[in-house]
Amino acid sequence: MSAVAVSGSGPQGLGPGIGLRAPHYRAFLEARQPVGWVEVHSENYFGQGGYHRHVLERVRADYAVSLHGVGLGIGSAEGYRERHLRRLRSLARWIEPVFVSEHLCWGAASGRHFNDLLPLAYGREALALVSARVERAQELLGRRLLIENVTAYLEFAGQEMAEAEFIAELAHRTGCGVLLDVNNLYVNQLNHGGDALAALRTLPAGCVEEIHLAGHLVTEDCVIDHHGARVAEPVWRLYKAALERFGPVPTLIEWDTDIPELAVLLDEAARAGRCMGERLGLAA
Amino acid sequence: MRPRAPAGAWGNALASLLELQRGFGSALADAAGAARSAALFRGPPERALARLAVYRGNVFGNCSKALAGAYPIVRKIVGEEFFEDLSRAYWRSRPSVSGDLNEYGRGFDAFLAGCAQVQDLPYLPDVAHMEWLAHRAYYAADSARFDPSRLAALPPERHPGLRPVLARACALFESHWPLARIWEVHQDDYTGEINVDLGAGGERILVHRPAWRAVVIGLGAADHALLCAIRDGLALGPALEAALAADPAYGPSAALARWVGAGAIVALAAGEPR
Repeated sequence: MSAVAVSGSGPQGLGPGIGLRAPHYRAFLEARQPVGWVEVHSENYFGQGGYHRHVLERVRADYAVSLHGVGLGIGSAEGYRERHLRRLRSLARWIEPVFVSEHLCWGAASGRHFNDLLPLAYGREALALVSARVERAQELLGRRLLIENVTAYLEFAGQEMAEAEFIAELAHRTGCGVLLDVNNLYVNQLNHGGDALAALRTLPAGCVEEIHLAGHLVTEDCVIDHHGARVAEPVWRLYKAALERFGPVPTLIEWDTDIPELAVLLDEAARAGRCMGERLGLAA
Repeated sequence: MRPRAPAGAWGNALASLLELQRGFGSALADAAGAARSAALFRGPPERALARLAVYRGNVFGNCSKALAGAYPIVRKIVGEEFFEDLSRAYWRSRPSVSGDLNEYGRGFDAFLAGCAQVQDLPYLPDVAHMEWLAHRAYYAADSARFDPSRLAALPPERHPGLRPVLARACALFESHWPLARIWEVHQDDYTGEINVDLGAGGERILVHRPAWRAVVIGLGAADHALLCAIRDGLALGPALEAALAADPAYGPSAALARWVGAGAIVALAAGEPR
Protein backbone atom coordinates (compact mmCIF):
# COMPACT_ATOMS: atom_id res chain seq x y z
CA MET A 1 0.00 0.00 0.00
CA SER A 2 0.98 3.58 -0.52
CA ALA A 3 2.66 5.47 2.28
CA VAL A 4 0.31 8.42 1.84
CA ALA A 5 -3.02 8.67 3.51
CA VAL A 6 -5.77 8.43 0.95
CA SER A 7 -9.28 9.42 1.81
CA GLY A 8 -12.34 7.80 0.31
CA SER A 9 -13.82 10.78 -1.47
CA GLY A 10 -12.56 13.92 -3.20
CA PRO A 11 -13.98 17.41 -3.21
CA GLN A 12 -17.70 17.13 -3.91
CA GLY A 13 -19.94 19.92 -5.04
CA LEU A 14 -17.53 21.36 -7.62
CA GLY A 15 -20.12 20.75 -10.32
CA PRO A 16 -19.19 21.00 -13.98
CA GLY A 17 -15.88 22.38 -15.22
CA ILE A 18 -14.18 22.89 -18.57
CA GLY A 19 -10.72 22.29 -19.98
CA LEU A 20 -8.94 25.67 -20.09
CA ARG A 21 -7.21 26.18 -23.44
CA ALA A 22 -5.28 29.20 -24.77
CA PRO A 23 -8.06 30.52 -27.09
CA HIS A 24 -10.22 31.10 -23.97
CA TYR A 25 -7.57 32.70 -21.75
CA ARG A 26 -8.81 36.21 -22.48
CA ALA A 27 -12.42 35.37 -21.65
CA PHE A 28 -11.31 33.96 -18.29
CA LEU A 29 -9.12 36.97 -17.51
CA GLU A 30 -11.82 39.49 -18.44
CA ALA A 31 -14.88 38.04 -16.71
CA ARG A 32 -15.99 35.48 -14.17
CA GLN A 33 -17.23 32.44 -16.09
CA PRO A 34 -20.03 30.22 -14.77
CA VAL A 35 -17.87 27.21 -13.87
CA GLY A 36 -16.34 26.40 -10.52
CA TRP A 37 -13.22 24.75 -11.83
CA VAL A 38 -11.00 24.31 -14.86
CA GLU A 39 -8.52 21.68 -15.93
CA VAL A 40 -5.27 22.16 -17.83
CA HIS A 41 -2.72 19.84 -19.39
CA SER A 42 0.09 19.77 -16.83
CA GLU A 43 2.97 19.76 -19.33
CA ASN A 44 1.90 23.07 -20.87
CA TYR A 45 2.83 24.71 -17.56
CA PHE A 46 6.12 22.92 -16.88
CA GLY A 47 8.09 26.03 -17.91
CA GLN A 48 9.54 28.20 -15.17
CA GLY A 49 7.62 31.32 -16.19
CA GLY A 50 5.99 33.13 -19.07
CA TYR A 51 2.47 33.85 -20.24
CA HIS A 52 0.83 30.45 -19.70
CA ARG A 53 1.87 30.32 -16.05
CA HIS A 54 0.87 33.94 -15.61
CA VAL A 55 -2.64 33.17 -16.86
CA LEU A 56 -2.91 30.01 -14.75
CA GLU A 57 -1.94 31.93 -11.63
CA ARG A 58 -4.59 34.58 -12.34
CA VAL A 59 -7.25 31.95 -13.04
CA ARG A 60 -6.29 30.02 -9.91
CA ALA A 61 -7.28 33.05 -7.82
CA ASP A 62 -10.94 32.55 -8.84
CA TYR A 63 -11.31 28.86 -9.73
CA ALA A 64 -10.20 25.46 -8.54
CA VAL A 65 -7.62 24.07 -11.00
CA SER A 66 -7.12 20.43 -11.91
CA LEU A 67 -3.84 19.18 -13.42
CA HIS A 68 -4.23 16.56 -16.13
CA GLY A 69 -1.00 14.97 -17.39
CA VAL A 70 -0.63 13.79 -20.97
CA GLY A 71 3.08 12.91 -21.12
CA LEU A 72 4.10 10.80 -18.14
CA GLY A 73 3.29 7.39 -19.68
CA ILE A 74 2.94 5.73 -16.30
CA GLY A 75 2.92 2.24 -17.86
CA SER A 76 6.04 2.54 -20.05
CA ALA A 77 8.18 -0.56 -19.50
CA GLU A 78 11.27 1.46 -20.48
CA GLY A 79 12.05 5.14 -20.93
CA TYR A 80 9.99 6.18 -17.91
CA ARG A 81 11.40 9.32 -16.39
CA GLU A 82 11.01 10.38 -12.82
CA ARG A 83 12.21 13.84 -13.88
CA HIS A 84 8.78 14.29 -15.48
CA LEU A 85 7.13 13.45 -12.17
CA ARG A 86 9.35 15.90 -10.31
CA ARG A 87 8.39 18.67 -12.73
CA LEU A 88 4.75 17.77 -12.07
CA ARG A 89 5.39 17.96 -8.33
CA SER A 90 6.94 21.39 -8.71
CA LEU A 91 3.89 22.60 -10.67
CA ALA A 92 1.48 21.05 -8.16
CA ARG A 93 3.23 22.69 -5.21
CA TRP A 94 2.87 26.03 -6.94
CA ILE A 95 -0.74 25.88 -8.16
CA GLU A 96 -2.26 23.68 -5.40
CA PRO A 97 -4.62 21.76 -7.68
CA VAL A 98 -7.90 20.17 -6.68
CA PHE A 99 -7.03 17.01 -8.69
CA VAL A 100 -3.88 15.57 -10.23
CA SER A 101 -4.58 12.96 -12.89
CA GLU A 102 -2.65 10.78 -15.34
CA HIS A 103 -3.70 8.45 -18.14
CA LEU A 104 -3.52 4.68 -17.85
CA CYS A 105 -1.16 4.25 -20.79
CA TRP A 106 2.43 3.93 -21.88
CA GLY A 107 4.38 6.35 -24.09
CA ALA A 108 8.04 5.44 -24.59
CA ALA A 109 10.06 2.53 -25.95
CA SER A 110 13.35 1.81 -27.71
CA GLY A 111 14.84 5.21 -26.92
CA ARG A 112 11.98 7.32 -28.21
CA HIS A 113 8.92 8.99 -26.76
CA PHE A 114 5.74 8.69 -28.79
CA ASN A 115 3.91 11.58 -27.10
CA ASP A 116 0.67 9.66 -27.34
CA LEU A 117 -1.60 7.69 -25.00
CA LEU A 118 -0.83 4.10 -25.97
CA PRO A 119 -2.88 1.20 -24.56
CA LEU A 120 -1.36 -1.26 -22.12
CA ALA A 121 -1.43 -5.06 -22.29
CA TYR A 122 -3.73 -5.46 -19.29
CA GLY A 123 -2.35 -8.25 -17.15
CA ARG A 124 -0.39 -9.12 -14.04
CA GLU A 125 2.92 -7.72 -15.26
CA ALA A 126 1.44 -4.35 -16.21
CA LEU A 127 -0.54 -4.26 -12.98
CA ALA A 128 2.60 -4.77 -10.88
CA LEU A 129 4.46 -2.10 -12.84
CA VAL A 130 1.70 0.52 -12.82
CA SER A 131 0.86 -0.13 -9.14
CA ALA A 132 4.47 0.53 -8.16
CA ARG A 133 4.57 3.68 -10.30
CA VAL A 134 1.29 5.01 -8.89
CA GLU A 135 2.47 4.39 -5.32
CA ARG A 136 5.75 6.16 -6.02
CA ALA A 137 3.91 9.07 -7.65
CA GLN A 138 1.49 9.40 -4.72
CA GLU A 139 4.42 9.33 -2.32
CA LEU A 140 6.32 11.97 -4.27
CA LEU A 141 3.29 14.21 -4.82
CA GLY A 142 2.05 13.67 -1.28
CA ARG A 143 -1.50 13.18 -2.49
CA ARG A 144 -3.90 10.84 -4.20
CA LEU A 145 -3.47 10.46 -7.95
CA LEU A 146 -6.42 9.95 -10.28
CA ILE A 147 -5.95 7.45 -13.13
CA GLU A 148 -7.97 7.81 -16.32
CA ASN A 149 -9.19 5.10 -18.69
CA VAL A 150 -8.06 5.76 -22.27
CA THR A 151 -9.33 5.32 -25.79
CA ALA A 152 -7.72 2.29 -27.41
CA TYR A 153 -7.84 1.71 -31.16
CA LEU A 154 -6.12 -1.64 -30.61
CA GLU A 155 -6.14 -4.34 -27.95
CA PHE A 156 -3.23 -6.68 -27.36
CA ALA A 157 -3.98 -10.31 -28.20
CA GLY A 158 -4.07 -12.60 -25.20
CA GLN A 159 -4.35 -9.88 -22.60
CA GLU A 160 -5.38 -11.21 -19.24
CA MET A 161 -8.07 -8.76 -18.18
CA ALA A 162 -10.28 -5.92 -19.33
CA GLU A 163 -9.32 -2.30 -18.70
CA ALA A 164 -12.03 -1.76 -16.07
CA GLU A 165 -10.94 -4.84 -14.10
CA PHE A 166 -7.36 -3.58 -14.28
CA ILE A 167 -8.37 -0.14 -12.98
CA ALA A 168 -10.50 -1.63 -10.18
CA GLU A 169 -7.54 -3.73 -9.03
CA LEU A 170 -5.14 -0.79 -9.38
CA ALA A 171 -7.40 1.39 -7.22
CA HIS A 172 -7.67 -1.40 -4.66
CA ARG A 173 -3.90 -1.91 -4.49
CA THR A 174 -2.75 1.72 -4.48
CA GLY A 175 -5.68 3.72 -3.14
CA CYS A 176 -5.59 5.86 -6.27
CA GLY A 177 -8.79 7.50 -7.49
CA VAL A 178 -10.35 7.05 -10.91
CA LEU A 179 -10.93 9.72 -13.53
CA LEU A 180 -13.67 8.12 -15.58
CA ASP A 181 -13.76 9.19 -19.22
CA VAL A 182 -17.26 8.25 -20.36
CA ASN A 183 -16.58 9.07 -24.00
CA ASN A 184 -13.54 6.76 -24.00
CA LEU A 185 -15.68 3.91 -22.67
CA TYR A 186 -18.21 4.50 -25.42
CA VAL A 187 -15.56 4.80 -28.16
CA ASN A 188 -13.91 1.57 -27.01
CA GLN A 189 -17.27 -0.18 -27.07
CA LEU A 190 -17.70 0.84 -30.72
CA ASN A 191 -14.11 -0.04 -31.62
CA HIS A 192 -13.84 -3.39 -29.82
CA GLY A 193 -17.38 -4.48 -29.12
CA GLY A 194 -16.93 -4.32 -25.34
CA ASP A 195 -19.72 -3.41 -22.94
CA ALA A 196 -19.44 0.09 -21.49
CA LEU A 197 -22.22 -0.47 -18.95
CA ALA A 198 -20.47 -3.60 -17.72
CA ALA A 199 -17.28 -1.54 -17.34
CA LEU A 200 -19.20 0.92 -15.14
CA ARG A 201 -20.38 -1.94 -12.94
CA THR A 202 -16.83 -3.29 -12.66
CA LEU A 203 -15.49 -0.08 -11.14
CA PRO A 204 -16.03 0.19 -7.36
CA ALA A 205 -18.71 2.76 -6.53
CA GLY A 206 -16.50 4.93 -4.30
CA CYS A 207 -13.43 5.27 -6.50
CA VAL A 208 -14.54 7.71 -9.21
CA GLU A 209 -13.59 11.27 -8.26
CA GLU A 210 -13.86 12.99 -11.63
CA ILE A 211 -15.62 12.38 -14.95
CA HIS A 212 -14.55 13.50 -18.44
CA LEU A 213 -16.94 14.15 -21.32
CA ALA A 214 -15.82 14.94 -24.87
CA GLY A 215 -16.77 14.55 -28.51
CA HIS A 216 -15.58 11.88 -30.90
CA LEU A 217 -15.35 11.35 -34.65
CA VAL A 218 -16.70 8.33 -36.51
CA THR A 219 -14.41 7.32 -39.42
CA GLU A 220 -14.29 4.37 -41.77
CA ASP A 221 -11.57 2.52 -39.83
CA CYS A 222 -12.60 3.32 -36.29
CA VAL A 223 -14.06 5.90 -33.93
CA ILE A 224 -11.49 8.58 -33.08
CA ASP A 225 -11.41 10.25 -29.69
CA HIS A 226 -10.59 13.68 -31.19
CA HIS A 227 -12.15 16.00 -28.58
CA GLY A 228 -13.39 18.20 -31.40
CA ALA A 229 -17.20 18.06 -31.21
CA ARG A 230 -20.12 18.24 -28.82
CA VAL A 231 -20.68 15.24 -26.58
CA ALA A 232 -22.68 12.62 -28.53
CA GLU A 233 -26.17 11.62 -27.34
CA PRO A 234 -25.25 7.98 -26.52
CA VAL A 235 -22.39 9.34 -24.39
CA TRP A 236 -24.84 11.56 -22.48
CA ARG A 237 -26.95 8.47 -21.79
CA LEU A 238 -23.92 6.55 -20.59
CA TYR A 239 -22.98 9.58 -18.46
CA LYS A 240 -26.37 9.43 -16.72
CA ALA A 241 -25.76 5.76 -15.95
CA ALA A 242 -22.35 6.70 -14.53
CA LEU A 243 -23.92 9.40 -12.33
CA GLU A 244 -26.42 6.88 -11.04
CA ARG A 245 -23.63 4.57 -9.97
CA PHE A 246 -20.97 7.05 -8.81
CA GLY A 247 -23.03 10.05 -7.67
CA PRO A 248 -22.80 13.67 -8.94
CA VAL A 249 -19.03 13.51 -9.47
CA PRO A 250 -17.31 16.73 -10.70
CA THR A 251 -17.52 16.54 -14.49
CA LEU A 252 -15.28 18.17 -17.08
CA ILE A 253 -15.99 19.11 -20.70
CA GLU A 254 -12.84 18.56 -22.82
CA TRP A 255 -12.32 20.16 -26.23
CA ASP A 256 -8.90 20.08 -27.94
CA THR A 257 -9.43 20.13 -31.72
CA ASP A 258 -11.16 22.99 -33.62
CA ILE A 259 -11.84 24.71 -30.33
CA PRO A 260 -15.12 26.68 -30.57
CA GLU A 261 -16.12 29.84 -28.75
CA LEU A 262 -16.34 29.52 -25.00
CA ALA A 263 -20.16 29.70 -25.03
CA VAL A 264 -20.31 26.26 -26.67
CA LEU A 265 -18.23 24.70 -23.90
CA LEU A 266 -20.24 26.49 -21.23
CA ASP A 267 -23.43 25.17 -22.84
CA GLU A 268 -22.09 21.61 -22.63
CA ALA A 269 -20.99 22.19 -19.04
CA ALA A 270 -24.46 23.51 -18.17
CA ARG A 271 -26.00 20.34 -19.59
CA ALA A 272 -23.65 18.22 -17.46
CA GLY A 273 -24.69 20.36 -14.49
CA ARG A 274 -28.37 19.64 -15.17
CA CYS A 275 -27.63 15.91 -15.30
CA MET A 276 -25.84 16.17 -11.95
CA GLY A 277 -28.78 18.12 -10.53
CA GLU A 278 -31.23 15.46 -11.66
CA ARG A 279 -29.04 12.83 -9.99
CA LEU A 280 -29.11 14.83 -6.76
CA GLY A 281 -32.91 15.05 -7.06
CA LEU A 282 -33.07 11.28 -7.32
CA ALA A 283 -30.94 10.91 -4.24
CA ALA A 284 -33.04 13.37 -2.21
CA MET B 1 16.99 -2.93 -19.89
CA ARG B 2 17.16 -6.19 -21.88
CA PRO B 3 14.18 -8.07 -23.24
CA ARG B 4 13.42 -11.15 -21.19
CA ALA B 5 12.73 -13.33 -24.21
CA PRO B 6 14.43 -13.48 -27.61
CA ALA B 7 13.32 -10.96 -30.22
CA GLY B 8 10.75 -12.37 -32.59
CA ALA B 9 8.53 -13.63 -29.80
CA TRP B 10 6.07 -10.74 -30.25
CA GLY B 11 3.13 -12.88 -31.24
CA ASN B 12 3.48 -14.96 -28.09
CA ALA B 13 0.80 -14.30 -25.48
CA LEU B 14 3.49 -14.71 -22.83
CA ALA B 15 5.72 -12.00 -24.31
CA SER B 16 6.81 -9.51 -21.70
CA LEU B 17 5.33 -6.04 -21.43
CA LEU B 18 8.62 -4.61 -22.64
CA GLU B 19 8.60 -6.73 -25.79
CA LEU B 20 4.98 -5.89 -26.50
CA GLN B 21 5.64 -2.18 -26.16
CA ARG B 22 8.77 -2.35 -28.31
CA GLY B 23 6.78 -4.24 -30.92
CA PHE B 24 4.01 -1.65 -30.85
CA GLY B 25 6.63 1.10 -30.94
CA SER B 26 8.35 -0.27 -34.03
CA ALA B 27 4.99 -0.11 -35.82
CA LEU B 28 4.68 3.57 -34.88
CA ALA B 29 8.13 4.57 -36.08
CA ASP B 30 7.46 3.45 -39.66
CA ALA B 31 4.93 1.55 -41.74
CA ALA B 32 7.39 -1.28 -42.44
CA GLY B 33 7.41 -2.12 -38.73
CA ALA B 34 3.62 -2.32 -38.72
CA ALA B 35 3.44 -5.47 -40.85
CA ARG B 36 5.60 -7.36 -38.35
CA SER B 37 3.63 -6.06 -35.37
CA ALA B 38 0.05 -6.61 -36.58
CA ALA B 39 -0.01 -10.09 -35.00
CA LEU B 40 0.39 -8.54 -31.55
CA PHE B 41 -3.21 -7.37 -31.62
CA ARG B 42 -6.68 -8.83 -31.47
CA GLY B 43 -8.72 -9.00 -34.64
CA PRO B 44 -7.87 -9.40 -38.33
CA PRO B 45 -4.40 -8.11 -39.38
CA GLU B 46 -5.85 -5.64 -41.91
CA ARG B 47 -7.85 -3.98 -39.14
CA ALA B 48 -4.77 -3.81 -36.93
CA LEU B 49 -2.79 -2.26 -39.78
CA ALA B 50 -5.44 0.39 -40.40
CA ARG B 51 -5.53 1.30 -36.71
CA LEU B 52 -1.75 1.31 -36.38
CA ALA B 53 -1.84 3.86 -39.19
CA VAL B 54 -4.16 6.01 -37.03
CA TYR B 55 -1.66 5.88 -34.16
CA ARG B 56 1.23 6.57 -36.54
CA GLY B 57 -0.57 9.65 -37.82
CA ASN B 58 -1.22 10.89 -34.27
CA VAL B 59 2.32 10.23 -33.08
CA PHE B 60 4.00 12.07 -35.94
CA GLY B 61 1.27 14.73 -35.99
CA ASN B 62 1.83 15.63 -32.33
CA CYS B 63 5.57 16.12 -32.87
CA SER B 64 5.08 17.90 -36.18
CA LYS B 65 2.67 20.37 -34.58
CA ALA B 66 5.12 21.02 -31.76
CA LEU B 67 7.97 21.62 -34.23
CA ALA B 68 5.84 24.01 -36.29
CA GLY B 69 4.98 25.88 -33.09
CA ALA B 70 8.63 26.31 -32.14
CA TYR B 71 9.86 27.25 -35.65
CA PRO B 72 7.25 29.49 -37.30
CA ILE B 73 9.85 31.52 -39.26
CA VAL B 74 11.67 28.48 -40.69
CA ARG B 75 8.22 27.22 -41.68
CA LYS B 76 7.34 30.49 -43.41
CA ILE B 77 10.67 30.52 -45.25
CA VAL B 78 10.47 26.97 -46.62
CA GLY B 79 6.68 26.75 -46.95
CA GLU B 80 4.23 24.53 -45.07
CA GLU B 81 4.53 21.54 -47.37
CA PHE B 82 8.31 21.37 -47.39
CA PHE B 83 8.38 22.02 -43.65
CA GLU B 84 6.25 18.89 -43.23
CA ASP B 85 8.89 16.91 -45.17
CA LEU B 86 11.69 18.36 -43.04
CA SER B 87 9.65 17.66 -39.93
CA ARG B 88 9.29 14.00 -40.87
CA ALA B 89 12.99 13.60 -41.68
CA TYR B 90 13.89 15.28 -38.38
CA TRP B 91 11.43 13.10 -36.45
CA ARG B 92 12.97 9.96 -37.95
CA SER B 93 16.55 10.93 -37.25
CA ARG B 94 16.07 12.66 -33.89
CA PRO B 95 13.10 11.18 -32.07
CA SER B 96 11.32 12.88 -29.24
CA VAL B 97 12.74 11.80 -25.91
CA SER B 98 10.52 13.77 -23.52
CA GLY B 99 6.88 13.55 -22.53
CA ASP B 100 6.88 17.35 -22.60
CA LEU B 101 6.50 18.38 -26.25
CA ASN B 102 7.79 21.87 -25.46
CA GLU B 103 11.20 20.18 -25.25
CA TYR B 104 10.85 18.71 -28.73
CA GLY B 105 12.85 20.46 -31.47
CA ARG B 106 16.14 21.00 -29.66
CA GLY B 107 18.94 20.61 -32.19
CA PHE B 108 16.77 21.34 -35.24
CA ASP B 109 19.44 23.91 -36.26
CA ALA B 110 22.18 21.23 -36.37
CA PHE B 111 19.84 18.91 -38.26
CA LEU B 112 19.18 21.61 -40.87
CA ALA B 113 22.92 22.33 -41.17
CA GLY B 114 23.47 18.72 -42.19
CA CYS B 115 20.37 18.44 -44.37
CA ALA B 116 21.22 18.24 -48.10
CA GLN B 117 17.78 19.54 -49.16
CA VAL B 118 18.32 22.97 -47.58
CA GLN B 119 21.93 23.64 -48.59
CA ASP B 120 20.66 26.45 -50.84
CA LEU B 121 19.34 28.24 -47.73
CA PRO B 122 22.62 28.54 -45.79
CA TYR B 123 21.12 30.98 -43.25
CA LEU B 124 18.37 28.52 -42.21
CA PRO B 125 20.30 26.82 -39.36
CA ASP B 126 21.01 30.20 -37.73
CA VAL B 127 17.35 31.23 -38.10
CA ALA B 128 16.41 27.96 -36.40
CA HIS B 129 18.90 28.60 -33.60
CA MET B 130 17.38 32.04 -33.04
CA GLU B 131 13.88 30.54 -32.92
CA TRP B 132 14.92 27.91 -30.38
CA LEU B 133 16.34 30.68 -28.16
CA ALA B 134 13.03 32.55 -28.53
CA HIS B 135 11.07 29.37 -27.75
CA ARG B 136 13.10 28.89 -24.57
CA ALA B 137 12.74 32.56 -23.67
CA TYR B 138 8.95 32.23 -23.97
CA TYR B 139 8.87 29.63 -21.17
CA ALA B 140 11.79 31.00 -19.12
CA ALA B 141 11.38 32.12 -15.52
CA ASP B 142 10.00 35.61 -15.02
CA SER B 143 12.47 38.22 -13.73
CA ALA B 144 11.44 41.19 -11.60
CA ARG B 145 12.40 44.55 -13.05
CA PHE B 146 15.33 46.44 -11.53
CA ASP B 147 14.56 49.64 -9.71
CA PRO B 148 17.09 52.24 -10.96
CA SER B 149 16.78 54.21 -7.72
CA ARG B 150 18.63 51.36 -6.01
CA LEU B 151 21.67 52.19 -8.14
CA ALA B 152 21.44 55.86 -7.11
CA ALA B 153 21.45 54.77 -3.46
CA LEU B 154 24.89 53.18 -3.82
CA PRO B 155 28.07 55.30 -3.70
CA PRO B 156 29.40 55.76 -7.27
CA GLU B 157 32.85 54.43 -6.32
CA ARG B 158 31.23 51.05 -5.67
CA HIS B 159 29.50 50.84 -9.07
CA PRO B 160 32.39 49.23 -11.02
CA GLY B 161 32.45 46.33 -8.55
CA LEU B 162 28.76 45.56 -8.85
CA ARG B 163 27.83 42.51 -10.89
CA PRO B 164 24.90 43.07 -13.26
CA VAL B 165 22.49 40.17 -13.75
CA LEU B 166 20.62 39.45 -17.01
CA ALA B 167 16.96 38.45 -17.07
CA ARG B 168 16.52 34.67 -17.15
CA ALA B 169 14.93 34.88 -20.61
CA CYS B 170 17.95 36.63 -22.20
CA ALA B 171 20.24 34.86 -24.68
CA LEU B 172 22.95 36.22 -27.01
CA PHE B 173 23.93 34.97 -30.44
CA GLU B 174 26.28 36.13 -33.17
CA SER B 175 25.50 35.13 -36.74
CA HIS B 176 26.89 35.68 -40.24
CA TRP B 177 23.35 36.48 -41.33
CA PRO B 178 21.03 39.47 -40.65
CA LEU B 179 18.90 37.62 -38.10
CA ALA B 180 17.24 40.62 -36.44
CA ARG B 181 15.97 41.75 -39.85
CA ILE B 182 14.80 38.22 -40.71
CA TRP B 183 12.94 38.10 -37.37
CA GLU B 184 11.35 41.51 -37.95
CA VAL B 185 9.90 40.86 -41.41
CA HIS B 186 8.41 37.51 -40.33
CA GLN B 187 6.42 38.83 -37.38
CA ASP B 188 2.65 38.57 -37.80
CA ASP B 189 2.15 42.26 -37.04
CA TYR B 190 4.91 43.43 -39.44
CA THR B 191 3.40 45.69 -42.11
CA GLY B 192 6.50 46.97 -43.94
CA GLU B 193 8.15 45.69 -47.06
CA ILE B 194 9.23 42.06 -46.86
CA ASN B 195 12.75 42.16 -48.16
CA VAL B 196 15.93 40.98 -46.51
CA ASP B 197 19.36 41.83 -47.91
CA LEU B 198 21.19 38.61 -47.14
CA GLY B 199 24.44 40.27 -48.21
CA ALA B 200 24.00 42.97 -45.56
CA GLY B 201 26.39 41.16 -43.24
CA GLY B 202 26.06 39.34 -39.97
CA GLU B 203 24.19 40.51 -36.91
CA ARG B 204 24.66 40.09 -33.21
CA ILE B 205 21.36 39.59 -31.46
CA LEU B 206 19.78 39.60 -28.02
CA VAL B 207 16.80 37.27 -27.59
CA HIS B 208 14.73 38.62 -24.78
CA ARG B 209 11.23 38.55 -23.27
CA PRO B 210 10.43 42.01 -21.89
CA ALA B 211 6.77 41.08 -21.29
CA TRP B 212 5.15 37.84 -22.50
CA ARG B 213 6.35 37.75 -26.11
CA ALA B 214 9.92 36.90 -27.06
CA VAL B 215 11.70 39.63 -29.02
CA VAL B 216 14.94 39.77 -30.99
CA ILE B 217 17.06 42.92 -30.83
CA GLY B 218 20.00 43.62 -33.16
CA LEU B 219 23.07 44.75 -31.21
CA GLY B 220 26.05 46.98 -32.01
CA ALA B 221 29.53 45.62 -31.24
CA ALA B 222 29.78 47.48 -27.93
CA ASP B 223 26.33 46.50 -26.61
CA HIS B 224 27.07 42.91 -27.59
CA ALA B 225 30.43 43.00 -25.78
CA LEU B 226 28.78 44.48 -22.69
CA LEU B 227 25.94 41.97 -22.51
CA CYS B 228 28.24 39.00 -23.23
CA ALA B 229 30.56 40.14 -20.43
CA ILE B 230 27.59 40.41 -18.07
CA ARG B 231 26.30 37.00 -19.13
CA ASP B 232 29.78 35.61 -18.40
CA GLY B 233 29.65 37.00 -14.86
CA LEU B 234 31.94 40.02 -15.13
CA ALA B 235 31.48 43.02 -12.83
CA LEU B 236 30.20 46.29 -14.23
CA GLY B 237 33.69 47.87 -14.48
CA PRO B 238 35.31 45.20 -16.66
CA ALA B 239 32.07 44.72 -18.63
CA LEU B 240 32.03 48.41 -19.58
CA GLU B 241 35.74 48.22 -20.45
CA ALA B 242 34.94 45.40 -22.85
CA ALA B 243 32.24 47.55 -24.44
CA LEU B 244 34.59 50.54 -24.75
CA ALA B 245 37.24 48.33 -26.33
CA ALA B 246 34.69 47.42 -29.02
CA ASP B 247 33.66 51.07 -29.52
CA PRO B 248 35.63 53.90 -27.87
CA ALA B 249 32.66 56.27 -28.41
CA TYR B 250 30.34 54.06 -26.31
CA GLY B 251 28.39 55.91 -23.62
CA PRO B 252 28.45 53.67 -20.52
CA SER B 253 25.83 55.35 -18.35
CA ALA B 254 23.30 55.71 -21.19
CA ALA B 255 23.85 52.04 -22.07
CA LEU B 256 23.30 50.92 -18.51
CA ALA B 257 20.08 52.94 -18.27
CA ARG B 258 18.94 51.55 -21.63
CA TRP B 259 19.40 47.87 -20.70
CA VAL B 260 17.88 48.37 -17.27
CA GLY B 261 14.96 50.15 -18.93
CA ALA B 262 14.55 47.33 -21.45
CA GLY B 263 14.32 44.82 -18.64
CA ALA B 264 17.45 42.96 -19.79
CA ILE B 265 19.52 43.88 -16.72
CA VAL B 266 17.38 42.95 -13.72
CA ALA B 267 19.77 43.24 -10.78
CA LEU B 268 23.10 44.67 -9.73
CA ALA B 269 24.53 42.23 -7.26
CA ALA B 270 27.02 43.44 -4.69
CA GLY B 271 30.08 41.39 -3.80
CA GLU B 272 32.69 39.46 -5.72
CA PRO B 273 32.07 38.60 -9.36
CA ARG B 274 31.69 34.89 -9.90
